[in-house]
Order: sequence, then structure tokens, then C-alpha cells
Amino acid sequence: MTDTPSEQPVVLLVEDDGLLLMEASDTLADAGFTVVEATHADKALKVLENRDDVGLLMTDVDMPQGSMDGFALARLVADRWPAIPVLVVSGMGTPGPHDMPDGARFIPKPYEPKTLVRTLRAFVRRAA
Amino acid sequence: MGSVAVYTSTYPETLMVDRHTAALEAENAHLRALLAQAQRRAAADADRFAAENARALAEAASLACLYERGLAEGAARLTRVEDLNTQLRASEELNRRILWTTTDCVKILDLDGRLIAVSENGPSVLGAKDCTALVGQSWIAFWSCEASRARIGEALKAARAGRASRFQAMLEIGSSTRTVTWWDVAVTPVNGDDGQPERILAVSRDISELKQNEARQTLLMQELAHRVKNTLAMVQAVATQTLRNAVSLEAAGEALGARLIALAQAHDVLMQGSWSSTDLRKLVAGAVKLHGDGAPDRFRVQGPDLILGARPGLTLGLMLHELGTNAAKYGALSTPDGHVEIAWNIVRSGSTEHLHFRWEEVGGPLVAAPTRSGFGTRLIERSLSHSFDGIVSLSYPSTGVVLTLEAPLAGVLGEAA
Repeated sequence: MTDTPSEQPVVLLVEDDGLLLMEASDTLADAGFTVVEATHADKALKVLENRDDVGLLMTDVDMPQGSMDGFALARLVADRWPAIPVLVVSGMGTPGPHDMPDGARFIPKPYEPKTLVRTLRAFVRRAA
Repeated sequence: MGSVAVYTSTYPETLMVDRHTAALEAENAHLRALLAQAQRRAAADADRFAAENARALAEAASLACLYERGLAEGAARLTRVEDLNTQLRASEELNRRILWTTTDCVKILDLDGRLIAVSENGPSVLGAKDCTALVGQSWIAFWSCEASRARIGEALKAARAGRASRFQAMLEIGSSTRTVTWWDVAVTPVNGDDGQPERILAVSRDISELKQNEARQTLLMQELAHRVKNTLAMVQAVATQTLRNAVSLEAAGEALGARLIALAQAHDVLMQGSWSSTDLRKLVAGAVKLHGDGAPDRFRVQGPDLILGARPGLTLGLMLHELGTNAAKYGALSTPDGHVEIAWNIVRSGSTEHLHFRWEEVGGPLVAAPTRSGFGTRLIERSLSHSFDGIVSLSYPSTGVVLTLEAPLAGVLGEAA
């Protein structure tokens, strides 16, 4: 993806609630992002292991179905794929001091779709 | 004296005799005088002795009287002391009983903060073998938590200066299996006769349960805040999705209102499950109530009791609402003869169990697949499969809409309330 920085990158969207996943996915697709959906952390990791075009991770925190929550996924991704910027989204309030990996961003839920898109664009520009 | 008359004839002899007699008489008189003197002296001595005796007797009597009074006073004093001792014993017994009945841990400390005496529960509270193992120990040494030590240090300092204080502190006992307890501690000086602090009294009350309740309350509030945020996020998604797919603002408003009511109803079921689970039968009953027209047999519902998790429950509630709305507008519920069959079952395949859920419309008008996919269709086709991690199929045979859902049971189950 770094070969063609003008293109909107692929966003890996991790959210266990189908309705919220659909809505966030629509919002990002409308803004021109390519969205890959995953309903929990383990599925997200599988996506990252199988494709190399993911340019950004956006994850929910509380996802009982996978083997880890969104914070753990964010830290793991920051560690294994340091080039991928990480955005954590949650209604759980402010993250604790060791929840987020360095450089990751946090957006509280619910968020305004426009704010999400703006944050993602700025985030991608900085990471590129 | 007869012999004297016999010798009168011989003068010289008589003279001699007379002289001799006179001498004897003089001697006699002298002796008599001496005797009388001795007798007088003896009488005087006797008088003196008698007087002295009388005086001594009087003194003795007065002394005896004094002793007697002293004895009486002593006896009275003894009675008073005995009374006081009885009162003191009663007071000690009362104190002992008070100490026995209280669950507080009561400690008497010297001014250096060393334990002098501890109530019976002291050893178990402070993790010691018995009371003797505690006596002489520094009280503050039992508190390992830094904040607690600071508070106790301040309280002892204040007590030495004559001031009482009260605070809460955490106590950790045991090295391998750590027991944490919370205490409301009152520390006060005990003054001596000179009005200066002589010892220190410390009374600790166990408030661990109170602290646990406080912690539970905080956790519940956080959990509630989290769930409210999630619900608002869902409402936001429903609103945005409704607007995305709306043909007109009016239609959007109407659809949104109905969807929020469906969501509220699913929340009612969720509330009954303490916000953590939803009873599938109640969820279906809610949808039946919303979309049935009161006519019997509009819905035929069949399935075992099943408790779903919160998220799958809410999503399924929304899905039932979309299906119901569609059925009432265009499907089986739009004609008097139509009805909906709702059935679910648990099917075991290999080592995993699956939930099979089916919605089938019967007896309605001829059905054609919709030309555009609205919110309901998208919710079912996209969102439902995600939420349930399963396979969803929505088909439009001409006899009526059929929805089937197959999902691993582990992913949809909630904790029974």
C-alpha cells in the first residue's frame, strides 16, 4: 500500500456487534475506504496473517467471542505489524494507562461518523 | 514494870535502873516515831500509787475508748472499701461483657504504640497465635499497607498530644494467602491522674463488607455506563441506517420510531435478565405483541427455553421487528388468513451444538423478492450472521418469506438469570 499512498488504505474493522459493524463499515466505505470486517480478535489476526494490504486497524474493546479483547489485539498488532496504525473504539470510558500500545488512538463510543472519518484520514496521513 | 517496885530499897541500883529504863523508853519513843514516820510515808506512797494507778486506768480507759472508735471507723471504712470492690468487680464484669459482645477489636497501647492488652478477637484479626504473642508488639508493625501505616502513625502522634482521631485503613494479613480487611479505626488518649495521656485506646471496626459493597457499586455503575454507551451506539447505528435507506424523511421518522420501540422492548427482556441475558421465548413474545393484531393463531411459536447473551438478544429483537413489520406491510400478516410460524431448536452435530431458528410466513399474498435491500434485509443478511457467527438465509418463495438462522450455541448463549 505504501507504493500507492494516494489511495485510501484498507481498514480492518473489528466489532462483535453486527449492527455497529455494518454501520461503521458503511461509514468508512462511503468515505472511500476499503473495509475488511472481522467480528472478533482471532478473526482479525487471521486476516492480518493472510493479507498484506491492511493499512489500518480499527477495533472495539469488549468482544467476548474471541480469545482476547480489543486492547490486547491492539497491543499485539502494534508489536507484530508496527507499520499498521491502531484505532481503538469503545463505550468503556477512558482506557487505563497500560491498555493502549504506544501511538494508538482512542475514540469513545458513540462517535460521530464524520469525526471517525476525519480521525482515520489524519491518522493514515501521519502514518504514511 | 513490877520488877521496878522490887528494887526501890537500894537507891544507886534503883537510879541505874531508872536511867536504863529512861533510855529504853527514849529509844522506844524514837522507834515509835520512826515507825509512825514510816507509816506516814507508806501511806503517802500508797496514796501516790493509788493516784497514779487511777490516772493510768483513766488513760487506759480513754485509750480503749479511742481504739474502740478507731475500730468502728475501720470497720465502716472496710465496709465502704468492700462496697467499692463489689462495684469495681461489677464494672469490670460489665466491661468484660461489653468487650465480649462487641465485634470490634479493642486495644490498649502504651505511649510508644506497643500493645498492652487486646480484646479476644485481637489475635485472629492481627494474625497472631494468641494474646500473649501480641503483648509488647508494636501495633503499627501489623499494617503493611503504606497508606494505613501513615494514618496510624498520625493517629498515635495525635493521641500522644491528647487528641482523638478516626480514620479508615486497609489491613493485609498472611504472606502466602493474603487476607485483606478494611477497618474503621478510632484512636484516643487515656489520661492519667495528672491529666496527661498515659496510655492509648484503639478501637477498630471491620468495614470490609461495606468496602466490598462500595467496590461492587462502583463496578456496577461502570458496567451500567458501558451498557448505556453501547445502547446509544446501537440507537445511533439504527438511526443512521434508517436515514441511509429511507425513501422520505417522513418514512424514516416513522421507521426509526418503530425500531426504537422494538429496541426498547428487547431491552425490557434484557433488564429481566439483569442486563446480561435475554430469554428467547420472551423476546419472541414481545415481537408477537408488537406485530400481532390480537387475532388468535397469527403466530405459532414453538421451541425450548433458551437464554441468549445480551448482544445476540438485542440483535434478534431488532430482526424480529424487521420481519414483523415487513410481514404486516406486505407478507402473511397483511391478510386475515395469513400467519407466521416461529420455531427454534438445538441441534447437535458432532461435538458442537447449534441453534436452528426459523421464521416462516404462511397463507399470505404471493411473495416476490424485494428489488432494493432496505435496512431490515441488510440487518438480517449482514449484521445477523456477524452477531451470531452463523449462517443466515432469507429467502422469498412465493408462499411466504422464510428466514433460517444456524449459529453455534456457544456464541449465542447467555448466563441464566
